[in-house]
Amino acid sequence: MLDMFFKPSSVAIVGATPKEGKVGRVILENFKNKFKGYVYPVNPHYQEILGLKAYSSLQEIPGSVDLAVIATPAKTVPQILEDAGVKGVKGAIIISGGFRETGTVEGAMLEDEVKKISRRHGIRVIGPNCIGVIDNWSGVDTFFLPEDKMKRPPRGYVSVVSQSGAFASALLDWMAYHGYGVSKAISFGNKVDVDEIELLEYLADDPSTNVVFVYIEGVKENRGRDFLETARKVSARKPVVVYKAGKTKRGGAAAASHTAALAGDYTLYRSVFKQSRVLEATSFDEIMDLAKVLSTQPLMKGRRVYIVTDAGGVGVMLTDAIELSGLEVPETPADLRERLGGFLPPYCIVGNPIDLTGDADDERFIRVLDEILPRSDVDAVVVVALPQIPGLKGSLFEYLVEAKKYGKPILVVLIGGELAVDYRRFLEEKGIPVFESPERLAKALCALYTYSQIRINGGTS
Amino acid sequence: MSSSDIVKSALSEGRPKLLEHEALRLMELYGIKVADYGFAATPAEAGLVSEKIGYPVVVKVVSPDISHKTDVGGVILGLKSRDEVVQGCERIMKNVSERQPGARVTGFLVQKMMPQGLEVIIGGTRDQVFGPVVMFGLGGIFVEVLRDVTFRVAPVSIQDALEMLGEIKASKILDGYRSQPPIDKNAIASMIVSLSKLMEENPYIFSVDLNPVIAYSSGAVVVDARVIVSKAGVVNH
Repeated sequence: MLDMFFKPSSVAIVGATPKEGKVGRVILENFKNKFKGYVYPVNPHYQEILGLKAYSSLQEIPGSVDLAVIATPAKTVPQILEDAGVKGVKGAIIISGGFRETGTVEGAMLEDEVKKISRRHGIRVIGPNCIGVIDNWSGVDTFFLPEDKMKRPPRGYVSVVSQSGAFASALLDWMAYHGYGVSKAISFGNKVDVDEIELLEYLADDPSTNVVFVYIEGVKENRGRDFLETARKVSARKPVVVYKAGKTKRGGAAAASHTAALAGDYTLYRSVFKQSRVLEATSFDEIMDLAKVLSTQPLMKGRRVYIVTDAGGVGVMLTDAIELSGLEVPETPADLRERLGGFLPPYCIVGNPIDLTGDADDERFIRVLDEILPRSDVDAVVVVALPQIPGLKGSLFEYLVEAKKYGKPILVVLIGGELAVDYRRFLEEKGIPVFESPERLAKALCALYTYSQIRINGGTS
Repeated sequence: MSSSDIVKSALSEGRPKLLEHEALRLMELYGIKVADYGFAATPAEAGLVSEKIGYPVVVKVVSPDISHKTDVGGVILGLKSRDEVVQGCERIMKNVSERQPGARVTGFLVQKMMPQGLEVIIGGTRDQVFGPVVMFGLGGIFVEVLRDVTFRVAPVSIQDALEMLGEIKASKILDGYRSQPPIDKNAIASMIVSLSKLMEENPYIFSVDLNPVIAYSSGAVVVDARVIVSKAGVVNH
């Protein structure tokens, strides 16, 4: 149970300071602005910080403290953690660097001490050398990057677990810019206690997380099997998207055996991801593509994708990309052809892609989609609505939001300038993923299909 | 001899690589089908062994000192009679004494020549992060050049193993092409499962290369097994 990090009722900020630009100030401001529980600045040099009464130590705080955020020099951390133990603090996020990552004996010793103290008092620890936790639902925010430098994303249902703090903050800033919602973000640094495996377990139970994204560089020695088993369990409940950075090198074994040499490859990790049923994002683009489709779309029951387009060319590009990804763009069956032919102008193409041509308007799109979406032989629909055509006024997009009631994945391709961007914002806010690139759409849709099969077949794909 | 006896005797004698017949015996103990074989200490004995196995046979030198048998002329293929086998063994002894003087020759492995089929590689190793893992790929350039292989962390089920077969890029080859019939996927998959069990139950085995395994439309047979043992379960260099 890691609730103390995400839903504390009281938080002490050790190292809080009124000095502009300091880590201790940014963190205090974060809590002061967003967190609803008790906030206690701790710093012996101040009576008051940012209008809050300051305490000279954790012991001095009158009430109980669930979470201590520690942002003081490394050598002071063991004593502070000791105080936290005496005080009965449940969890500590140690932001401070200066531990094992420095490669020094002193750093390693300090880290071992931190580990010992946390075990002795039963305090759970995230860090050290991390940027900690953002929980958009509770207001916990230990990211020491000020809001004017790193925007916070809106509330949402994607949670981010990252071995790299810098990558997590860049990703969140980027997500904020694009309006993608986040539930929780955790950077766990040197992981003396809490690691990605336990976080995965926690997020599996978290009702405000629909998709977990994990950035890892490597799993700790001998923790591989735990990772595999946990990831597999979590994947049976919600999608886990993993991005693996860095390739492992174990050169020594190369000469001894083929298998050992090949296992040193990234191939082993890729196989493990398959075995654990997690979805691997192989590029930065894919991370967000997968997250936005998986977090908004219902399961995709089969492979059959229908394309409704106002642009023949993009329809063909999409068909290629979707077929190459392993999904199908089937021929429109005869009965549907007949129905569509009954009301569409004769120059429209009722095959799949269904090409409504450049003189299409919202109404034409809507009538066709109304025919297609309820059909049991349609598993997903991609709407290519290039907004440059004169007939498109925007009611199609409102219709698409309503069409979620059919319980089928609906994705949209929009290519263009400001108008396209406006429509895109509207749709994505309402949970309809929009793509510019047919290829990226196809990959993300295929990931949704893969994940759906995992869920439908109960863990075997 | 049990599997742990085989491993222990190699470790106690300081041999990181099991001898050919030890490696094959180990596979048999786990129900993995290997090409008929016999160990012979002398050329004359090899002649007797080959009579039992039936022709044609291949003869391979067995030596704790030789790691690449073909490089020293330690392998002779397609021997069709007892005389040929005896002469073959003598030729091998001569080759070895010329090309790697001082290498100990423990004896000879006489092995049934297997008919052609699809060559695949099945392997196992002990990874620092994931523990025992198994690998599958097609033999030859597919593994050597394209590194087209896939892994699973042990223990693997038959379903896991079948999934591995479908996961390599060249998996369509398993379904047959031109005159090649589709291979017996279940036979390969159950071999992978058995190797996974072997890797789990023998912590001192660092790695196993079954290369090649010849797959047929019915059944599959291991032709060469290379087993590396290590006290720590990992190899130190």
